[in-house]
Amino acid sequence: MFQLEQWFIQFLLYFVSPEAVNSFLRDPRHTAIIIGTLIAVSGALLGSFLLLRGMALTSDAISHTVLLGIVVAFLVLLAVQGQAPDLSSPWLILGAAAAGVATVILTEALHRSGLVKQDAALGLAFPLLFALAVILIARKVENVHLDVDAVMMGEIGLAWANSNSHCLENCESVSITPDDPRAQINRQCTNCRTLGISPRDEGAQFADICTNCGVYSPGQAWQAGLIATQPVLLFWPKSITVLALITLLTIGFVGLFYKELKLSTFDPALAAALGFRPALLNYALMVVVSLVVVGAFDAVGSILVIAFFIIPPAAAYLLTDRLSWMLLLSAVIGAVGVYFGYDLARGRFLWLEMGGLLAGLNRLFGLGLSEQWNSSISASMVLMIFFLFLVAWVFSPRYGLVSTLVRRAAQRRHFADQVVMGHIYHHQGQVAEHEELIILTLHHHFRWSPRKMARVLARLRSSYLVRFEKGLVLLTPQGEARVHRFRQTQLGRNGQSMAQNLP
Amino acid sequence: MPDNEHSPHDDMDKKALVIDDLTVAYDSKPAIWDVDLELPEGVLMAIVGPNGAGKSTLIKAALKLIPRSAGTVRFYGLPYEKARSFVGYVPQRGSVDWDFPTTVIDVVMMGLYGRLGWFRRPGRRERELGMYALEQVELADFAGRQISQLSGGQQQRTFLARALVQDARVYFMDEPFAAVDAVTERAIVAILRELRARGKTVVVVHHDLQTVAEYFDWVTLLNVEIVASGPVATTFTPDNLRQTYGGRVSFLQDGAAALATGD
Repeated sequence: MFQLEQWFIQFLLYFVSPEAVNSFLRDPRHTAIIIGTLIAVSGALLGSFLLLRGMALTSDAISHTVLLGIVVAFLVLLAVQGQAPDLSSPWLILGAAAAGVATVILTEALHRSGLVKQDAALGLAFPLLFALAVILIARKVENVHLDVDAVMMGEIGLAWANSNSHCLENCESVSITPDDPRAQINRQCTNCRTLGISPRDEGAQFADICTNCGVYSPGQAWQAGLIATQPVLLFWPKSITVLALITLLTIGFVGLFYKELKLSTFDPALAAALGFRPALLNYALMVVVSLVVVGAFDAVGSILVIAFFIIPPAAAYLLTDRLSWMLLLSAVIGAVGVYFGYDLARGRFLWLEMGGLLAGLNRLFGLGLSEQWNSSISASMVLMIFFLFLVAWVFSPRYGLVSTLVRRAAQRRHFADQVVMGHIYHHQGQVAEHEELIILTLHHHFRWSPRKMARVLARLRSSYLVRFEKGLVLLTPQGEARVHRFRQTQLGRNGQSMAQNLP
Repeated sequence: MPDNEHSPHDDMDKKALVIDDLTVAYDSKPAIWDVDLELPEGVLMAIVGPNGAGKSTLIKAALKLIPRSAGTVRFYGLPYEKARSFVGYVPQRGSVDWDFPTTVIDVVMMGLYGRLGWFRRPGRRERELGMYALEQVELADFAGRQISQLSGGQQQRTFLARALVQDARVYFMDEPFAAVDAVTERAIVAILRELRARGKTVVVVHHDLQTVAEYFDWVTLLNVEIVASGPVATTFTPDNLRQTYGGRVSFLQDGAAALATGD
């Protein structure tokens, strides 16, 4: 992993100076946003397919069960190597992927038994695997950094603290032995303890020992004054490498299998008939989902990770009718939510200072709220992404709440117009005309309020579809043409029967 | 029948579809039992039978969408794995989510995915083929629409266009006439006849006994087992229908009436 990181940094340094990278990454805000964005992008790409497959909750299940994979792999490595393995070891990640697939297989097996429904099967499989993981952690690895709290919540803000330092220039490491000219020598009494002699005693014998022997990394060597030139060091948060790799893998997977994923999501039967192995593709998808979930573990924990998978695609789904746009939009929504989510955790909602708001509330109501706003970063990111979803839900041009209400109101108006014109059309020129078409009593025939009828008539009259004559309401030639057209286009072949139902 | 795609030297090859001893069981109860079926090239065949007779199951088992308990199915003498490229499938309209974010032309182009194989994306040629198929089902104006904005009949025709672009030799259609308007029903019949004229073989799960004689020239009566299978004139008899549907007299009368008008 370290080697890989170096290659990546080498590549990066073709474009930016190490100082720029360093000063950028030294800011925890930047690191948190980069990591959050990587999670959001890969989560959104995969989540779009999960959402469309009706498997939204599967990502939640997997985010819990991967823990079992991690713990089992951890214990196996512990037994084989005899020491606690590094928590970013690729074996743990593979174990997690295996657990993700196991979740899906177990769920399907339960479902296929015909005794439990799909959602119940998921609800059976995932607590089982998660409970096993929790028991294993509690019994076996208590003193290792793998506690349940850390797994549940994660802390994206700490990611920058866990960095590798890469040396770019003046990278000599220094090893000091007693013979080294730079070695500092102390004299130490060799026989004080055993013979009960103190160093001040006459018979004390002394040996020269080196107080600073050992191997010094370039940074330490410079600080200890062992080398004259300052090394150029680059601090690189470990999670970025892992997550960048996983994100690249996700993009590669979705890019490569876009057509196949699309087909097997929309019409699994046709996908199978054409030989595209939808079941296999499904497992592959679950493997990638598991990898992303594991990668996101440290940062956002297992509970909130589902938000990164589901909320952005749910928002994008409301904004577009194209799958490709849905993928792109959901990635963007996730990233934007992450960006503003960090600021929210630090007390700023978009461009609004929350501290000021709290102070204002305190002054008005005397609530005694703390004006220090400092909360969980990952939770704030999720809140922000949800806020973006809310915006899409309300304001989406085609499917949003507002446009739906507007459209429904327009349809109701249009229908009221048609019903009234239809009524006039039927009775106009008939004997009953003088009873049926009196302006002042027309609303009785429809059981409408006089106000509603007045509104409809005013609207029809202002667009010259009806005219008022001797207290009666009659169709204009335009109005008659409109009724004819409506009957042809809307009533179709059922025109006769529907016409009879009109008042 | 036009026959320029393969040599007619082998009589076995002229059978578009041969099913031998096909049995499918869900749990222990057979859904279809020991089905034997032979279908010559260039016919339109209806599979009819009561609810739960295994009509859809027969199609799905033939296309290996569900596991077979026993039996073989051959398309022009080939097992399904080798026949994929020339077998087309139109699933039931309700089998997919029509709110899926995709357009009509996209759905039609999915019929070409099999020919494209893994990884290759549809391009301009595929789009042209898709548009041509949409013109055939009179949906060219709707190519860019999101699929939920289609009527039921238009959705069915979209599926039909998707099967057309596959340019298969044997088609399987699962209830294409279910809940469609008169316009679509006529369009589907026209397409079926067009396919037959081009030497294609079409197997249709059908539920309307009245129209069997009018639309199809071959019929299979299925009720878990095959009751009868053959040309409509000799197979679609009141006697066979009674065997298929048991005592459900109204169906029998309808069927007999259809037979009378169809002949």
